[in-house]
Amino acid sequence: MLNGEPVTVQETGDKMLVELYRRYAGNYPKFFKMDTLSRLGFIAAEILLGQPADQGQPQVQTVILANRSASIKNDTDYQATISDGKYYPSPALFVYTLPNIVTGEIAIRHHIQGETAFYILDKEEELAPIIHSTPFEAALTGWCECSKPNRFYAKLQIIWNN
Amino acid sequence: MEQLIEQLKQQIIESLNFEDMTPADIDADAPLFGEGLGLDSIDALELIMLLDREYGIKLADPKAGKAIFKSVRIMAEYIQANRTK
Repeated sequence: MLNGEPVTVQETGDKMLVELYRRYAGNYPKFFKMDTLSRLGFIAAEILLGQPADQGQPQVQTVILANRSASIKNDTDYQATISDGKYYPSPALFVYTLPNIVTGEIAIRHHIQGETAFYILDKEEELAPIIHSTPFEAALTGWCECSKPNRFYAKLQIIWNN
Repeated sequence: MEQLIEQLKQQIIESLNFEDMTPADIDADAPLFGEGLGLDSIDALELIMLLDREYGIKLADPKAGKAIFKSVRIMAEYIQANRTK
């Protein structure tokens, strides 16, 4: 959904993120090096920040995201490269073994130079009090979750403190 | 040598997740870093892992990678001369 309107896609699972990347970005090859959590946050931010800016509103300079499973999906993928008798730890997977990498990827892409934070919370509702106690003018906030292959959920929004 | 170059291109695409690329898109003589494929330091580590995993080559001195990873062709020549599997 984008601003309450459904967005039609052909693909499912991880391939859906690639489809959305080609539709909404398409000029950022680093996307293909990202883990699923970062791809998810990147695409959601790409769609949201690509919308026409509201007149007079400050630009987003803060990113506050959260989820319940941290970077478990990529952590598991990385673990697989150093277990079962083989030991070829993947540097490309290692660099995504922290959930806050996704906030960094978004900040790099959109030249956001303010604060970024990623919280591990039990429930989505727990994020609101954190956001309300954080000083900012305009923030990209929301829930960005990927716990298993082909299973992910993101709900991002821009909040202005006027 | 040409067969090894094509195989290496495919392995690079898979290791570095170049989902949009085919071996034909990679110029065997183009620089891998900077211009050309535009690889970064994490990619360099992946290439070092690739040499170990696929060809049994362990780079004791990471600085040696600078010379070996100049292009796919130079990399293939190094593999042919040093591979243990």
